[in-house]
Amino acid sequence: MSDGPRLRDGSDAPDHRRDRPARLRELLERRALTGLAAATVAILVVVFYYPVGTVLVESVVVDGAATLGVFAAVLRDPFYFGELARLFAGEHPIAVARALLSPDRRLGIVGFTAYQAVLSTLASVALGLPAAYLLARFEFPGRRTLRSLTIVPFVLPSIMVAVGYVATFGRNGTLNALLGAVGLGPVELMFTLEAIVIAHAFYNAPLVARVTTAAWESVDAGAVETARSLGAGPVRAFLHVVAPQVYPAVLMGAALTFVFTFGTFPIVLALGGFELATVEVFVYRLARDLNYAEAAALAVVELAISLSVLGAYLRYEARHTVTSRGVRPLPRRPVLPSAPTARELLSRLGLGVYAVVAALVFLAPIASMVLASVTGGDGGLTLEHYRFLAERQRTGAAFQVRPWPAVRNSLVFAAASALVALPMGVVVAVITTREYRGRKLVDAVAMAPFAVSGILVGLGLLRGLVFGVEVAGWRIAVAGSAAIVAAHAVAGYPFVVRTVAPGLESLDRSLVESARALGASRARVLRDVELPLVWPGVVAGAAFAVAISMGEFTATVVLATGADAYTMPIAIERFIGRRLGPATAMGVVLLVVTGVSFVVIERLGGEYDGI
Amino acid sequence: MGSEGDPPAAPRDADADAPAVELAGVSKRYDGTVAVEGVDLRIREGEFFTLVGPSGCGKTTTLRLIAGFEEPTAGRIRFGGRDVSGVPPEERNVGVVFQNYALFPHMTVGENVGYGLRFSEPPGDASRAERVRELLELVDLPGTADRDPESLSGGQRQRVAMARALAPGPDLLLLDEPMSALDARLRERLRLQVRAIQRELGITTVYVTHDQEEALSISDRVAVMRGGTPEQVAPPRSVYRRPASRFVAEFVGDNNVFEGVVAGPDDARPGAAAGTGSSDGTVPVDIGGETLRVRIDESESEAAAAASPSPGDRLTFCVRPQHLRVGRAENGLRADVESAEFLGETTRVHLDCDGRDLAVRAEDPLEGTVVVGFDPADAHVIDVGD
Repeated sequence: MSDGPRLRDGSDAPDHRRDRPARLRELLERRALTGLAAATVAILVVVFYYPVGTVLVESVVVDGAATLGVFAAVLRDPFYFGELARLFAGEHPIAVARALLSPDRRLGIVGFTAYQAVLSTLASVALGLPAAYLLARFEFPGRRTLRSLTIVPFVLPSIMVAVGYVATFGRNGTLNALLGAVGLGPVELMFTLEAIVIAHAFYNAPLVARVTTAAWESVDAGAVETARSLGAGPVRAFLHVVAPQVYPAVLMGAALTFVFTFGTFPIVLALGGFELATVEVFVYRLARDLNYAEAAALAVVELAISLSVLGAYLRYEARHTVTSRGVRPLPRRPVLPSAPTARELLSRLGLGVYAVVAALVFLAPIASMVLASVTGGDGGLTLEHYRFLAERQRTGAAFQVRPWPAVRNSLVFAAASALVALPMGVVVAVITTREYRGRKLVDAVAMAPFAVSGILVGLGLLRGLVFGVEVAGWRIAVAGSAAIVAAHAVAGYPFVVRTVAPGLESLDRSLVESARALGASRARVLRDVELPLVWPGVVAGAAFAVAISMGEFTATVVLATGADAYTMPIAIERFIGRRLGPATAMGVVLLVVTGVSFVVIERLGGEYDGI
Repeated sequence: MGSEGDPPAAPRDADADAPAVELAGVSKRYDGTVAVEGVDLRIREGEFFTLVGPSGCGKTTTLRLIAGFEEPTAGRIRFGGRDVSGVPPEERNVGVVFQNYALFPHMTVGENVGYGLRFSEPPGDASRAERVRELLELVDLPGTADRDPESLSGGQRQRVAMARALAPGPDLLLLDEPMSALDARLRERLRLQVRAIQRELGITTVYVTHDQEEALSISDRVAVMRGGTPEQVAPPRSVYRRPASRFVAEFVGDNNVFEGVVAGPDDARPGAAAGTGSSDGTVPVDIGGETLRVRIDESESEAAAAASPSPGDRLTFCVRPQHLRVGRAENGLRADVESAEFLGETTRVHLDCDGRDLAVRAEDPLEGTVVVGFDPADAHVIDVGD
């Protein structure tokens, strides 16, 4: 082998220079990625697929015998499916259609859930598009700040938002206080569909705005200018060039909004009560009444609807991905035009009206909550609600919810779940950004927690791991807190994937290949090259994981039952049932803790692609 | 050409005669499409070997197969006689330079060059820092170790990429269109530098380019690829002077390719001896109305040597533009001037000869109808068939 090339560490070339520990480390390093992937799969199976699976099994196995009876009963129950139930019961489609078109139709719980989700989606798109227009096409001081603020509603705990809306629209809320000041009678918005739809828009309009802005900004000015030079006016150029590139993003925002609002829970629980219950609320109620089979069957129906909407969207996305990044983005206009024309003034007027509406929807609930937390029963300013929290902390009985353990639990769970979610998310991002057969399936399996009901996951964890599982004669039980951390990690890691994967995807493949040719193993390349380059995305993912954990309510409320593992959102929910004051004070605490954690962590990173 | 059905060659231990890199019947297919088909190459130790061809010809895939970024779907790749199937890129001891430089943007120039030294000891007794300095001097960028790659020009980045690939002392240097993002003048300067470095280190090098001029100027041997397979593997001069196929003749440099039929004695000129071949070793070829004489030199063309042409055989030959003399009536054709391109040193004139495009070189632009002819010895026979 005098002149033939030698291989680095060829397996059959005895290499005496290398000692045993070095070889072992090398082996571990080479297998590191595989090991992490296996751990991720294990966690997903143990805390997601297995628990969800057991609940699903309960819906089809009654008294030890497999049956679809529970499903059939749910599908044929007009209480759930309204007039559609008659279709499932075997009635003629035309008769059912006629009944659906008649004025006194019944939608049932599922129908109502879909109905409010559609309304919420429409409201979110209507509220999100003007924001995207403003952010993508205009230049004004604070534009970048406003753009990054659009992520805030998304990470605000939903129970807190619900409290904010109660403080705004409630019988004694700020809205009625304002109306009363000008001599108008009180309006009752609580427990109405409107309140739910507005609260959903609060959450999802920023999402629509975010994805649409990103798409709008990536439209190449050259394409629009080409259209103009070919004879298209501004409106036609918009319709033919800009709109087709923006509208897939709008659709994506709408599809996600529908799925999120279809599975909504805390907002409806707080703002709608059981009169306006959605499917998820009923799943919760059934589970609370120990009717697990029906709860599971209903959750499966919910899941099927969510997944088919998501699946339809993903099919669409696969065919319409806009990958071209605008070399030169469209120029932004100043908000205050130098030479106003009629058209310019009209668009500014529209934006002005929008600003007022947006301020009402986005700022009112938070402002009202803060205001309510310092307003006494007599309407004067007071700190009594905070004093109540402090008092409760000192003298609260064991069975009562105390504020400090809630804050402490939230912080501990958030930190722990972020530590689990980060490696999981990074590994899934690495695996799903590589090209291979079956990648779509892996992506779907890994992203399922996005779409599956939190109640279902919580229920599965509770009945499986927390109550204990018998494996080969050993009884394995997991503490409630561990289960909460696991559930939060599973809920949070898809956000890590979504902040890390776009960066990895846009990373030049030859960087990875160069490093490998220089002798780096796959895991070393991840550590030395890929992660440093997508670091802002990793940090942003951590911020999301923390915020999601702090705000997570649905799975926590199931798992925290009886245990003293309650978090801030649970504390708020327990307070809200009795008095609004302490709930709003707790809400402010949650807002501060979540906000500070999110901002601090996100500041550590920098600009990132994704979400 | 070994096909995938052949039994695998008996395992050979590394021996002195084994080529540095050997591809035996290598194919690479992606779902339904064939990128590389039945490639057989033997690249010698210390050789500068170039894969050249139009885009989509499989040259980059071949390089990636050698680097280990892809595994072949059929065939074997051996380094120094040893099969490297399944050996990951980090264990092949190769240096790779990409077209887009692929410098790590979060590392300084010095960290980039030193990255490979994290996984292997620097060759010789040099320390890592010394090795980095040495390499930066080799590529003529001393003192840039602390710079940010972003602050360098395209040509400088490319040299850093070269230094980074060479730092661990690889056995094989793989260059994937390393200069196509640079402007023409810089490219010419850089390729002299690359060649000088390669000579100095004596490192076996595989170079991929779509630029035939670059391939001819830099290489010891060239493989002209088409449709996933090399059409000709030979030193640059042979590829240029004796192209093995019509594709090679037209891809490498300007060329005038003629297809015709070997004429019988009836068509022979008055005074020529009976039989196809004349005493001076030329044959008459009817290219459709006109008869041109082409010299068959058995030492030159395998195709011609294998089948001594007889009347009625189809025959393809080519004549370089610089060998088509304007004004030479003997062994010539009449043609109309279509257009002329002034290239500086010479003028390339495009002619139309009864619908056949011809290119010639001239000092001055030509006009009207001209006569062009060539010495039968300047024609190269590409192919003879029945």
